[in-house]
Amino acid sequence: MINKIPILVKNFCLSTFLCGVLLWCLPFSGYADEFAAEVKQAEVTLHGDYYLLSADIVYQLSEKAMEALQNGVPLFWDIQFKVLEQRDVLWDKTLVDTAIRYRLQYHALLNMYRVRDEGDGTVYNFSTLFAALDLMSTVRDFRLIGGLSELAPEKQYLLAMKVNFDRDALPLPLRPIAYVDRQWYLSSDWTLWPLKK
Amino acid sequence: MAFEKIKLPFNLSVVILFGLIMLSLQLMSSAMQESSQLSAMYSWLLLFNALGSVVLLILVGANIYSLIQHTKRREAGSRLTTRMVSLFVVLALAPAVIVFYFSMQFLHQGIDSWFNVEIDRAMEDALELSQASLDQRMRWHLKQTQQLTDRLEDSSESLVTMEIENLRELSGASEMTLFSRQGRIIASSSINPSDILPSLPDEHIWLQLRQNSEYVAVAPFHEEELMIRVIVTVKAREPQYLQALYPVPVRIADLADSVEFAFVRYQEMNFLRNSLKMSFSLALSLVLLMSLSAAIWVAFINIRNIIAPVKELVKGTQAVASGQYDQQLPVIAQDDLGFLVESFNDMTHRIAVARDETRQAGVEVENQRAYLETILANLTAGVISVDALYKIRTANQAAYRIFHIHVNQFIGRTLVELVEGYAELAEPLKSIQRLLEQADDIWQQRIAFLGPNGRQELLCRGTPLFSQDGQRVGAVVVFDDVTDLIQAQKNAAWGEVARRLAHEIKNPLTPIQLSAERLQHKLADKLGPTDANILKRSTQTIVQQVEAMKEMVDDFSEYAKPSKKQTVNIDLPKMVQEVLALYALKSGVKFKADYETGLLIINGDPVSIRQVLHNLIKNALEAIDAHGLIEISLHRVQKNNTDFIEIALYDDGPGIKDEQIEKIFEPYVTTKAKGTGLGLAIVKKIIEEHGGAIWIDTSRKVGAGFIIQLPASNSEQL
Repeated sequence: MINKIPILVKNFCLSTFLCGVLLWCLPFSGYADEFAAEVKQAEVTLHGDYYLLSADIVYQLSEKAMEALQNGVPLFWDIQFKVLEQRDVLWDKTLVDTAIRYRLQYHALLNMYRVRDEGDGTVYNFSTLFAALDLMSTVRDFRLIGGLSELAPEKQYLLAMKVNFDRDALPLPLRPIAYVDRQWYLSSDWTLWPLKK
Repeated sequence: MAFEKIKLPFNLSVVILFGLIMLSLQLMSSAMQESSQLSAMYSWLLLFNALGSVVLLILVGANIYSLIQHTKRREAGSRLTTRMVSLFVVLALAPAVIVFYFSMQFLHQGIDSWFNVEIDRAMEDALELSQASLDQRMRWHLKQTQQLTDRLEDSSESLVTMEIENLRELSGASEMTLFSRQGRIIASSSINPSDILPSLPDEHIWLQLRQNSEYVAVAPFHEEELMIRVIVTVKAREPQYLQALYPVPVRIADLADSVEFAFVRYQEMNFLRNSLKMSFSLALSLVLLMSLSAAIWVAFINIRNIIAPVKELVKGTQAVASGQYDQQLPVIAQDDLGFLVESFNDMTHRIAVARDETRQAGVEVENQRAYLETILANLTAGVISVDALYKIRTANQAAYRIFHIHVNQFIGRTLVELVEGYAELAEPLKSIQRLLEQADDIWQQRIAFLGPNGRQELLCRGTPLFSQDGQRVGAVVVFDDVTDLIQAQKNAAWGEVARRLAHEIKNPLTPIQLSAERLQHKLADKLGPTDANILKRSTQTIVQQVEAMKEMVDDFSEYAKPSKKQTVNIDLPKMVQEVLALYALKSGVKFKADYETGLLIINGDPVSIRQVLHNLIKNALEAIDAHGLIEISLHRVQKNNTDFIEIALYDDGPGIKDEQIEKIFEPYVTTKAKGTGLGLAIVKKIIEEHGGAIWIDTSRKVGAGFIIQLPASNSEQL
């Protein structure tokens, strides 16, 4: 198991640079806030030739997000994963950039919450919001990278994960507010840890 | 045309600017449509437009700040720019704000009008109806399934699979499954034989089932389909659960879906009402802000361009006001202002030309004046001009030479004021002043006075000056020092008299004398003693008178001759001593000489001066009749910065009568029975020829007194 290393306590110097690069590349990414999602636990296991990732995420829906959901507004989250190759001079090279995209919507007729995995189109229906969020919170054995052969043994690799709330998928009138209202800052920060070979 | 070349790119840029703004706003407007492909870019477009507005506002702000600074500095054209910009802003802002205000009103009212209580309730009722419909179906299927369990209770385990198949077909369920208490599948039947694995209830359903011993719910199945899942407990057996999945008819499912879609949409719209209003307001505000900012900015640029020639004109006018007439302004545009600038350029050019001409004329006038002044300065005649108040305006060098007052002291003072500093000039200056005041026409007057160089005689000619309207504006006085001329005339007259005397009188005298002596010689012997005696006396008388006449003629000749033949420095005390020594032997006469210490030297002809002294002493001796006192004193006096030697000679004789004082120095004037009357005339002539003056000292009551002043010699060398 690989313990998560929060970005702020990382002790190697490149992390600061990496953090800067990531923040620069993603200006509207996560914002440490009371409503931000949080990656509580994550682990990468080597299963044969594959790296499988499992993680637990905590979503904290704000009052406004909840209200919007109850009024039929679909909410979208992207759980983003990146594998970065650390380089001394240049910025880190992104080897893998993939995501799981969830859509959460309330159905008034059946009084249920529907979660749809936008990747494969699977739909899950839940009678409670808690159950719906529980599905989205759990990542189990997500296949990250092809195999050991893709990783050079002499290089250092980083694994980055982030839960990104897609504000651009909100209905148009809500978007300007979503960019200025803290209640809509539901994304998590990037969480980084080294990938052990 | 240059105008076209300058104007076109600017207009094009403005068109491009407004085109870009319109495009950006149009894109934002399009993006606001949910269905639009630009919808995803809405945030970026909004941000772009907001940034554009900020940039334009900064531009406008910078222009306003710059304008305020210019206005504070009172720069040319700034106030006009402020007025024009204010006018434009007010004119543009007023309708825009009105339109904006009512648009907002309509927008808000329009959005609000979409939602009302009736529709709200209808929507909720529709949803409730759908739910009730499904609910009823659920209850019916629950009841149906519960009834089916009775049949299952009777069937054995081996037959249960068959029974479920029958029950499924009987009930019309699409799938029927019997679970054990642990959730294991005991038997299952599906309408679709390919479905090997039946639909499994999740943990939540199991939880609910264990609590209520039955479960019924509608759930979506395969996206579009709706299924009613019913699970009931089969009581007879060891607790088992029968799950039946009943499909909701497609029509009902579609209707329910439609109602839900409409309800959700309405609900969403209702929820987004305020956001929608804000969003539209934001877009509208951005449109207003951008278009107005752009318009004001363009207005600033345009007004600046319009004002530029005015600014140049103001600067040009200021330059002209400060005397720079060479200012030529650039003609930026061929419009009315351009015409104005061209006219201004013409005007300044003409003014510059006129100024040059005036300057040239001024130089010429100045040259002329300098020329006239040179002529005036070099005139031998003194010229003084006075204004209406008789203050001297101009005076030439000759006036200085004549009066010995520096020209600078003349200017701005009246003639009378000059008297205060120069008492000896009181007489002529006052005379001239009086004549100036009295005369209304050209006047001429000869004025004699005792100046620093002795007696001077001026020939003054005054001309009053009048303006065109007849006002007296001053006068010009021209005066010549005619002392020498008069003297020369006198000398010439006396010379002529002497010559005539010599010619007309002296020539016959000798034959008269000779004839008288011959008569005496021839007749003396032939006549008796008495007659002879008469003849002798008569002849003697004739001879004596002829001798006297000869002496008189000689005196005239002497008088007529110039006395200042050879000038040397004369030590006056020494000469007086020598002369007095000749008379010292005369008994009964006392001489008293009083000399001032120091050098008393004059420059003159020693023979003439000696004659003056002899004449005066003889005159005095004759006056006192060889008994009395003769006093001679010598002093140095100063008049008009010139040193004079004053010789004063007094006797204690009978003195001179008042009526004779004025004529005493003229020829043939004498108080004595004997004498030609030329003695004092010769004295006066000699003194005047030496630049001196002689007058009777009338202040002395006893005897007669003569005062002679002769210019002291500048060189102290003897």
